[in-house]
Amino acid sequence: MKQKILYIEDNEQNLYLVTFILEKGGYEVCAARDGREGIDLAAAVKPDLILLDIQLPLMDGYTVARQLRSNPELAEIPIVALTSYAMAGDREKAIAAGCNGYIEKPINPDTFMQQVELHLPGREG
Amino acid sequence: MFSTITRMIRYYTSGMHAFAMSRSRGWPLLVLLAAPSPFPNPAWADGRTVSVGVYENAPKVFTSDAGKPSGIFIDIIEQIARAEGWHLRYVPGTWAEGLERARKGEIDLMPDVAYTAEREKIYAFHKIPVLSVWSQVYARKGSGIQSILDLHGKRIAALENSLQLQTFTRLTNSFGLKFTLIPVPDYKTEFEMVATGKADAGLTNRLYGLMHARKAGLEDTPVMFDPAPFFFAAPRNAPGQLPEIIDRHLAQMKKDPRSAYYAAMKRWTSEEVEFRLPAWLQIFGFILGGVLLMSLGGSFILKHQVNARTRELQLVNREMERRIDDRTLTLQETNARLLTALEALAGATEHAEAADRIKSAFLATMSHELRTPLNSIIGFTGILLQGLSGPLNEEQAKQLTMVKGSASHLLSLINDILDISKIEAGQLELVPEPFDLRESIHKVAQSIRPLVESKGLTLSVQVAPDVGTIVSDVRRVEQILLNLLSNAVKFTDHGEISVRCVREAGHYVTSVTDTGIGIREEDLERLFLPFRQIDAGLSRKYEGTGLGLSICKKMIELVGGSIWVESRVNSGSTFSFSLPLERGST
Repeated sequence: MKQKILYIEDNEQNLYLVTFILEKGGYEVCAARDGREGIDLAAAVKPDLILLDIQLPLMDGYTVARQLRSNPELAEIPIVALTSYAMAGDREKAIAAGCNGYIEKPINPDTFMQQVELHLPGREG
Repeated sequence: MFSTITRMIRYYTSGMHAFAMSRSRGWPLLVLLAAPSPFPNPAWADGRTVSVGVYENAPKVFTSDAGKPSGIFIDIIEQIARAEGWHLRYVPGTWAEGLERARKGEIDLMPDVAYTAEREKIYAFHKIPVLSVWSQVYARKGSGIQSILDLHGKRIAALENSLQLQTFTRLTNSFGLKFTLIPVPDYKTEFEMVATGKADAGLTNRLYGLMHARKAGLEDTPVMFDPAPFFFAAPRNAPGQLPEIIDRHLAQMKKDPRSAYYAAMKRWTSEEVEFRLPAWLQIFGFILGGVLLMSLGGSFILKHQVNARTRELQLVNREMERRIDDRTLTLQETNARLLTALEALAGATEHAEAADRIKSAFLATMSHELRTPLNSIIGFTGILLQGLSGPLNEEQAKQLTMVKGSASHLLSLINDILDISKIEAGQLELVPEPFDLRESIHKVAQSIRPLVESKGLTLSVQVAPDVGTIVSDVRRVEQILLNLLSNAVKFTDHGEISVRCVREAGHYVTSVTDTGIGIREEDLERLFLPFRQIDAGLSRKYEGTGLGLSICKKMIELVGGSIWVESRVNSGSTFSFSLPLERGST
């Protein structure tokens, strides 16, 4: 059975690019266009990993991460932040909000899968 | 002193008492005699000379220090003389002489004669008494004479042939007292005798006593007797009706409180009494006055000095106030300026902070907005090149590789600009953490190796055995090293690039040496300034923003290290940077 990755991203091109890479890599991808939808979908599908864009409309990625972490059923799911924010403290803020990893945009297609799989528990060991 | 004053007041009131008695006695006569006045003056009276006897019995009649006849009787007769047009001729002498002259008709009037039936036979008296006076016994101070009985066996001085003496003799006889009489021609002599101890006591009228006793060193005794009315005595049967004229004037004068009569009485009794202060009191008064004057003068001088000082102080005060005002004004102005400056500063700070926030927001937005399309470009180029969307022919692969290279370069430019902006905006925050520097160096060297080898260069890495853990910001340290290595590869066409790392006194010193084009000495100074890629000619050949080294320098400084360069043109360059073993240890 394919592992499921939830990708919360509002940008269509990024969503297509990442979904394409992940599906080629053998993963099932669920997509959400904003934080609210992402949180609901996470509770519904219980993905193996969540890729979270930080620059989201209405509710930013940090808030989404905190809400995901506040749900005990979802608390164990690894969250990897994707952000083109490169300002001071972005990485720290993401980690503090409950993210397990941090990938800067633009993504490098050559290394992207490796960076994601680093946080997938099933692939470890 | 208090008792003395009380006594003085008693003298005064006694005098007034005598005076009041004389007045009260005069009133009935006044009523009788007031009606016919004024009498027409007899024609012969004009220019008439009236001779008046004078003897020494102040204040009733006496010769003043200036030699002028004075006293109550004199004032009254002179007033009458003025009204009647008389010319007065004074005939001085003793009391006895005066009486004798009047008897013989040698003088027209003898003042101060007490009425007796016996004298009535010799002299002509007017009806209204000039005054009534009590007789009194005077003695030396502390004589102890308290009553008439104390006069028994004493030597008593008295005016010879005086009514007073007769009365006193009668009085003492009635008490069965004996005394030795010392007859004297006048009261002055009498008082001198009492004062010098030649007599034990003296008889006189109260008026004289009040005026002279204290001066003579005597005091009054409680023994008073025989209040007697005194008149002017004229020779009996003398022409000119002098007694009648005197009565008429006395009646008129006694009617008017402001008349010469009352003026005379006041002048010679109360005033004199009041004036006759005891010698010691006068001295005391003088001393007191002197002291008062001196203290007045002193206080005046003192006041003057105080005033002068006060003025000086006021001047000083005003000067001080002026200065304080000046200073206050200056301070207020300075304060106002300071406040304005502070407000301006606050405004500027606020403005700067606002500008900073805008800049930060701009940077964040630009970062996002520029990276998002690059994400697509780099991402899809990578997918295509990986063959995930299907196989590519050789040309397609070559062209897509060029797109990927350009996109990567654009990304590095954006990253550089963002980095330098963040540094200058103070937005570049460091995350110090312990890491293995050796590991980091090898990792960075590995990442650049494909690029080095693609240019036909060799890369050597020499890390000293004592290089190990360091506390710093690993991402920034690796970024610095990568930047230096990228530069080395960029400016070297053949030869080798070597990385060395050694430990030196609290620092790790890492060097990147190349065998490239080198840097001219004059360019070394501005090497680390932003946007200063040396030699405009080179910029076409060597791509870059010219920000790399300035970013490196700033980051090195942020982590507490330093960077320097040694270079020779056409021989190569060595860029070195030191890092403290622990951040903040330098």
